[in-house]
Amino acid sequence: MMFCGPSAGPDRFGTPILGVSEVSGLICDLLDDARLHEIWVRGEVTNYKDHTSGHRYFSLGERNGRSSALINCVMWRSYASGINFTPRDGMDVLAWGTVEVYEPHGRYQLIVREMHPAGLGERHLMVERWKQELDAEGLFAPERRRPLPAFPHRIGVVTSSTGAAMQDILSVISRRYPAEVVLSPTTVQGDGAHMEIAAAIRKIDGLVDVIIVGRGGGSFEDLFPFNHPDVVRAVALCKTPVISAVGHEVDTALCDFAADLRAPTPSAAAERAVPDRVEVLRELSGHRERMGALLLHRLAAAGSEVEDLRARMHPRRLARRVHERMQRLAEHEDLLRRSALARVQRKRSALAEVRADLAGKNPLAILDRGYCIVESGGEIARSAGDLSPGDRVVLRMKDGRCRAVVEDITYDRDV
Amino acid sequence: MTETFEEMLEELRGIVRRLENGDTSLEESITIYERGALLVKQCEDLLTTAEMKLTELGRDQ
Repeated sequence: MMFCGPSAGPDRFGTPILGVSEVSGLICDLLDDARLHEIWVRGEVTNYKDHTSGHRYFSLGERNGRSSALINCVMWRSYASGINFTPRDGMDVLAWGTVEVYEPHGRYQLIVREMHPAGLGERHLMVERWKQELDAEGLFAPERRRPLPAFPHRIGVVTSSTGAAMQDILSVISRRYPAEVVLSPTTVQGDGAHMEIAAAIRKIDGLVDVIIVGRGGGSFEDLFPFNHPDVVRAVALCKTPVISAVGHEVDTALCDFAADLRAPTPSAAAERAVPDRVEVLRELSGHRERMGALLLHRLAAAGSEVEDLRARMHPRRLARRVHERMQRLAEHEDLLRRSALARVQRKRSALAEVRADLAGKNPLAILDRGYCIVESGGEIARSAGDLSPGDRVVLRMKDGRCRAVVEDITYDRDV
Repeated sequence: MTETFEEMLEELRGIVRRLENGDTSLEESITIYERGALLVKQCEDLLTTAEMKLTELGRDQ
């Protein structure tokens, strides 16, 4: 036997010689194919081993007449804990996973992440398909979700009238808030339940303020009707806001995605549907106290405002202000009188001046100074030419009149 | 009852806000306080005297 290292040259015919890791790498590349990734595989369980480590080792086989096929499978501990049945040799199952190469052992194997008994597995696949369809229709869009009413009068419940869910809802609501609960009864499991649930939803829609659709915990099979498109569409088309509460915390049903709110349990749904009366009463008494305190404060402020005004309107204070005003009035009066007097005085002296002036202008005043006025024929003679010798004239003097006769006329110069 | 519980509570909250703002006249403050006190009383009565009722729709089909 010849041993050849990974990088040995070609043999004498020119065929390249590969190392094991190189061949293994090629196989890895070949198996790195989308067709072998995240696939559902149906087969019969054989060689099932529940290893103490928690990992599960088994094979899935298929027989067709004389031909048969087998694939090795591994389910790691973290995924194995999620399966809700005990696989046994000979069981028909659906496994979901990816084919990978385990190079140290030169094996390829299916790394299984999810596994169901085949009948059930088909239902899981159906739910998966419905989910994609309904999502594509936009029924799960978060923006479709509406807020719930804060203080509902009526709470509609779509569930079984005899189930634990109804009892849980009633006990929570009666404890918290005095609302009216309207039950739209329906069977919640079994063939045809989905039609009944959908009908019960449509029947109560519009009659109440909020609707709780749900049931208590159960197997995947039990909860199955709540995945049905009939139920999902009925929830999505509701005019009334819907709370979906199917099974327990871990369970989800497609109607959860179409509802306005998903509650983990029916009790939790009831808690979300109504406020707690104790809290509301606390808020009310808080408002009462606050209003009282605010009004008291307001009244106190108004009281001190009045007090302040009263102080400012005190009689003595008022009288002082009146006296002040009177004083000022008197001062003004005095001022006025004095200024009027001064004015009269001024006018008087002006008058005296005018009179003196006038006196100086009196034509008879010159007579005092020794002049006389000559009148002839009742008129004042101003010129020698006005007179002729022999004219009779009157001489007006300061203290009397003299009659005289003109003897002669002499002119001082030619006129 | 013409008003819903929610409307009454909303009105009450509005009254508290107006009193807090202090821009109402004294007369107005007293008037809205009286209205608020009445609302508190009505809301409390509704919560404490009422009981949960249960009705069931008929089943058909």
